[in-house]
Amino acid sequence: MPVLKVTGLTFSYGPRPLIQGLSFELRSGDFMCVLGPNGSGKSTLLKLLTGFMKASSGSVKLGGKEAALIEPGRLARLAAYVASETSTPYDFSVRETVLLGRTARAGFWRGYRAEDGAAAGLAMEETGITALAERSINTLSTGERQLVFIAQALAQEAGLLLLDEPTSHLDLKYKAEIMALLARLGRRGLAVAAVLHEPALARLGCNKALLLNGGGAYSFGAESEMLSPERLAAAYGLPIDSPLLP
Amino acid sequence: MTRNKSLIFFAALAAACLFSLAAGPAGWSSADIIINLRLPRTLAALAVGAGLGLAGALFQGVLKNPLSDPYILGTSSGATAAAVFCFLAGIERTSPVFFLAVFAGAFGATFLSYWLARLAGRLSDAALVLAGVAVSAFLSALVMLTLTSARERSFSLFYFVLGGLYSVQPGVLIASSLIILAAGAVAMARWRALDAMALGSENAYHLGVDPERERILFFALACAATSAAVAIGGTIGFVGLMTPHIIRRMTGPSARVLVPAAALGGAALLTAADAAGRSFFSPSEIPAGVVMALAGAPFFMWLLWKSSRGKN
Repeated sequence: MPVLKVTGLTFSYGPRPLIQGLSFELRSGDFMCVLGPNGSGKSTLLKLLTGFMKASSGSVKLGGKEAALIEPGRLARLAAYVASETSTPYDFSVRETVLLGRTARAGFWRGYRAEDGAAAGLAMEETGITALAERSINTLSTGERQLVFIAQALAQEAGLLLLDEPTSHLDLKYKAEIMALLARLGRRGLAVAAVLHEPALARLGCNKALLLNGGGAYSFGAESEMLSPERLAAAYGLPIDSPLLP
Repeated sequence: MTRNKSLIFFAALAAACLFSLAAGPAGWSSADIIINLRLPRTLAALAVGAGLGLAGALFQGVLKNPLSDPYILGTSSGATAAAVFCFLAGIERTSPVFFLAVFAGAFGATFLSYWLARLAGRLSDAALVLAGVAVSAFLSALVMLTLTSARERSFSLFYFVLGGLYSVQPGVLIASSLIILAAGAVAMARWRALDAMALGSENAYHLGVDPERERILFFALACAATSAAVAIGGTIGFVGLMTPHIIRRMTGPSARVLVPAAALGGAALLTAADAAGRSFFSPSEIPAGVVMALAGAPFFMWLLWKSSRGKN
């Protein structure tokens, strides 16, 4: 059974559809990148997948169940989501922030159990932020903070991990590190979908690609097939010999 | 909170109570004054301060906005306006109708501010403060209009509106304290949802929290605590704003400790402010609301300055 199955998904902000009749599925171990020009609906798509925004028609199934019918607590155990940037005025420590990934499992009232601490510890280890555990998230660099929220998502122990531009605002070293981490998670059996700004990054471990061309047109398939210069040039409106294409 | 910090915290609370019991021209000389006048007043200050401190912590968390508090959001003005109308309509301060009306006023005004701020699209800290100021100003004008047209009763109402803790009725004090305790207990039972909301509603949703539901719930709890406080002491500002900021420095931002500590801290702060108002300008008395505004307004300016530099 696919972890995520999308059928005929349609959404528009105004009269013109942004996403139209979109269908694809992800299985355990898939690492999909979502590519496309600005305003083609990449970020919106992720929010439709988790039900944070409501689609006008179509179906999103998580683990075989219609996502719109799953209550938030259960949804958070099936799919985890990392926003492109999360900020708060309050000085939560890295450990507290990662532990909040356990909200759906721990409930609102009780304290954290050993299993919650272990899951958070493992997530921090996996993302390489164990040494930052007691620091305030507001004292970290953008890249470090991104890793904290990826760790929070991992602590949810969901089968599907969605990330909105996890590498934006980061330098090349961080970009490569985060892509390597996501590829590793894919190999461990998670289904991963990440919105990426630069097609070249998809070469770092993605096996599937979803290319949104804007206005509802899209193509979905194997990474090697989707990332041909012809397709990318058409999607981004670039000449085929542009040095920006991978 | 470490053990040392807890000790300091409870010592401050005890010191505020002692200060309040001793404050006044007669000092410790008359047991009668202490038991019959100062003790009820101290208890009233504790309850009002706890309600406002609690409401401040809940608003600041659920809105992810360190500038929010029941005074700035218009919650207190809504409650005060409803209370003034109840007085003029002859509704007893101990009747359940009075408490319901004051709660409705608080809740209505808060949602109006929130709704106005959301009209601008993305909810920004500044938009929320501006909307709260607009709602407060309008409600305060309504109250002033009512006061000027109801001359014969306006003197006692005037002191109520200024925020003072005189002549507290035991029935009101008990009912309000129970409401504040209940609101605090429910909030503490959902501390993790409040922490998730403090990271923003998008993050909260994906952690398994329903942001719309929690927002209404925590607004209701904060409004219940605020209206119970207003029923005793009228409009007293800045307790809800200052207390969570001071307490966070001791406990960190997690609602698990912050919520009860902000209630106790608010109680200590207002009790000390009321005692200061009674003793520093003796024999005349400064209302607690005025003392808090004198201390709180500069604090608010400092917060604005800090947030404008993007390092809250």
